[in-house]
This record gives sequence, structure tokens and C-alpha cells, in this order.
Amino acid sequence: MENAVEVKDLHIIYKGLKKMSIKQSITKFKINRMETFEALKGITFNLQKGKILGIIGKNGSGKSTLLRAIAGIFAPDSGTIDLKGNSVSLLSIGAGFQNKLTGFENIILSGLLLGFSEETVRKKIPEIIEFSELGDFIYKPVKTYSSGMYSKLAFSITAILETDIMLIDEVLSVGDIHFREKSGNRMQQIIKDESKTVIIVSHSMGTIKDLCDEVLWINDGVMMEHGETKTVCDHYEEFMKNLKQQ
Amino acid sequence: MRRFINNIRKHFRYAVYQAKAELKAEITNSYLNWIWWFLDPVCNMLIYTFIVEVIFQTSEPYFPVFVFIGLTTWDLFNRIVSGSVKIVKNNVGIINKVYVPKYIFLLSKSFVFLFKFMIAFIIILLLMVGFHVPFTWQILNFPLIVICIYTVSFGIGTIMLHFGVFVEDLSNVTNIFLKFVYYFSGIFYSISTRIPKPFSTIMLIANPAAFCIHQFRKIFIDGIAPNYIGLLLWFFAGCALTAIGVKLIHKYESSYAKVV
Repeated sequence: MENAVEVKDLHIIYKGLKKMSIKQSITKFKINRMETFEALKGITFNLQKGKILGIIGKNGSGKSTLLRAIAGIFAPDSGTIDLKGNSVSLLSIGAGFQNKLTGFENIILSGLLLGFSEETVRKKIPEIIEFSELGDFIYKPVKTYSSGMYSKLAFSITAILETDIMLIDEVLSVGDIHFREKSGNRMQQIIKDESKTVIIVSHSMGTIKDLCDEVLWINDGVMMEHGETKTVCDHYEEFMKNLKQQ
Repeated sequence: MRRFINNIRKHFRYAVYQAKAELKAEITNSYLNWIWWFLDPVCNMLIYTFIVEVIFQTSEPYFPVFVFIGLTTWDLFNRIVSGSVKIVKNNVGIINKVYVPKYIFLLSKSFVFLFKFMIAFIIILLLMVGFHVPFTWQILNFPLIVICIYTVSFGIGTIMLHFGVFVEDLSNVTNIFLKFVYYFSGIFYSISTRIPKPFSTIMLIANPAAFCIHQFRKIFIDGIAPNYIGLLLWFFAGCALTAIGVKLIHKYESSYAKVV
């Protein structure tokens, strides 16, 4: 099998990029500059096409940073990320909708941003609207939506407008029980599709164990283990238990 | 450079659709909807005409047209420049989700302002009829001046966009500076007649807003040809500024998401 994602010695550093005011930049010219924080310290892994990778680790260990780097939102400070020309989309809570615009317009804008043509998006729109269960609300500005409707729409867009690689950040619990079931099924469907490569970040060990072919465990930006789901999950759970006892 | 053109081509539809949606959203929530696009600049013009003609007791020939040209040109320049400072911050939701070349946001915003400017152009023509300003062929030079002021504004905008991400209070500074430039752009007075000679020439050449406003008045009111060489030079300056801004953005945009 060919690889869909190749990540080599990835480092992401938040450095000297702190926002500052003009006064600060004059008075503290050099002091503030070099505050660095290394979020990822050398991550290396390959993921084959069609596989599902779960990323686990405690809060603040760099999971979301890794996903964003793969999505192309952050550039690596050193190391490389090679997606082999596959298209990629990131599905996360709090999608970037524009509140003043209607749901319909937001669908088209999101689609265009993901690199689809307007025709493709328009063709898929009925499916998206139906899946999101928003009905006539789709023609109302997004600011009138409830938070559930908001995330349902976000989920529907990314789930229907499929890219080769899908990155999922903690969104498997969207909406009410009914929608959760539906989105779960849809995820299963995407995941079963051999041509889709999926990377999931989740704190729910159940989800990870159910869905993933392999698991990557990160702790404080360092790669702890990458391998078969069951082995890595067991080691991780043991590690977390020890952490609690200390 | 090639990357810039490719990116623009790739995201052009997005920028246009976004601009359209924004314009639509602007009118759907108000009573008089699109009439505001006409009413807003015209009311501004009336206020200035009242203050200058009635209170200050001075005037320029065809003053309502004169001040209207100044105000709308200034609006285009001012909105693009001041709007660019916070544009990355305002689109943080998108930036955290998907990679977009950041100047696309500015491009789309500038389309909104350009559209409003086109409406203003129609109003200028109507005002010219209403105040019996003689029409001449020089009006056809209009697009040249628009391209010039647009390129300069966009160029300054790309640079402000970059620094606006890292310097939190840049918008305060920009607003004060723009206010300063505003009073030196001859919006409600004529620089060439009110200000003594060497200074007026410098002001008209060194300030792109003043320069373009002056050129617009030449073609609409005076019916004489614009300063083609000056237009060309400012156009090149705008291109150079855009090149610098785009280069800065290409180099640093992947770290924007870490800051905002």
C-alpha cells in the first residue's frame, strides 16, 4: 500500500510570536522576543492510504497542533509533512462560519475554501441540507442558530464534501442522540471507504478502540508510541493511571 | 509572483462570492436596504456642503460634486487600509480550519468597497447633471484613476495586514495617522488654491489619496486631462507595495494562526 501521509521529524515551535503592543515593543525590545514553547518535538510516522489513525494523549500534549500542521494551517519549523498531493480537510468544533451570512452561503464559502468548485458544491448542497436537518433555517443567518444546529451544519459540510484525507478533532459527539447516531454511522461509512484516510483525535478511548486501525500516542509533544490500537491504548491507560496515583 | 497569481486565480471565486454575500447581508437586515448605498454618501455630502458653504462661508465651484468626489475616493482608500489591520483577526475561524492565502480576505473586502465606489460613480454622474457641470470626454479616464488608487490602497493594505497580526494596537495608530492624512487630502477644500505653492505641489504628489482626488476632479469638474505620468508612477508604487506585502505574507502567514 502507498502512503497517504508521511510526517518526518516534525517540530512545531511557538516562539517570539507573542502579540505585543507598540509600547511593549519599544520598552521590552529584546526581553520578550525569545519566549519559546515547543509544542511538537520530533514526530515521525507514516500512514497508509485508507487507514484510520487515532491520536491520543493528555490535554496540551500537542494533538490538535499536529492535526493543524497536517491540515496546512501551521508550517513546520523543522521536519516535513508530505501528503502526496491528497486533498485534506479539518473537522473541528467551532467551524469558521460567518455569523451574518446564511447557512446556505456558508456552505458554499466553506466548500470553495476546501478547494471544491462552485458547481460541485451546489450539486452537493441538497445532500448537506438534508443531512444537517436544518430545514428552512438554512436560509437564515448563522447567528440565529443554536449551538447544536451550528455544529450539525459544520459536521454535515465536512462529512458530505469528502476530501482524500479527513482530520477529525473531537467532534464525534455532535447534536442530540439521534444526530449523534447518524453522524456516527456516516463516520463509519467514510471510515470504511478504502480510499479515505482518516486521522482522529479523541479523548474517548471507546471511539478510538472502535474505529482506529492504529494509534499514535503523544505526551508533551514527544512521540511515545505508534502501533496497533490495543497495545498502545493499554500502555496509555496504564500510564494515565500511574499519573493519577502520583 | 507566480504563486500570488495562482493563489488569486484559485481563490477568486471565493473572494467574489464572499463579497457578494457580505453585500447581501448588509442590506437584508435594514428597512431601506440597498437605498442606503445611495443615501449614505449623499447625506455625507450634504453635511459637508452645509458646513463649508453655510458655516465657513467659503466654497469651490460645484461644491457638492467637488466634496462628493473627495469623500468617496477617500472612503475607498481609508476603508481598505484601515480594514486590513484587523482582517486576519476577524477571520480567525476560517484561519484555524483551512489554509487560505491571507490576502484573499483583503481582496474580497476590497471588492465590497470597490462595488460601493462604483455606485458612487453613478451618483457623481447624477450630481453632474443636477448641478450643470459640463460633461467632457475626459470622464473616460475614470478607470485609470480607479486602478491607480485601488492598487496603492491594496498594496498598503497587504503590508498593514501583516503587521496587524503581530502588533495589537496598530489599529489605533493607523486610525490616527489616517485622520491626519484625511485633513491633508483636500477633501473639502482645494489644495492647489488654498495652500501656498511649494507645499501644495508636494502634498498633491506625495499623498496618493490627495493625488487621485485631484485627478478625479480634473476629469469630472475641470474637464482637463489627468496627470498620466503621475498616475503611472503611483500605479508602479502600488505594485511595489503589493509585492512587498505579499512577500511578507507568504513568508510569515503560516505562523499567523499561532498568534491570533
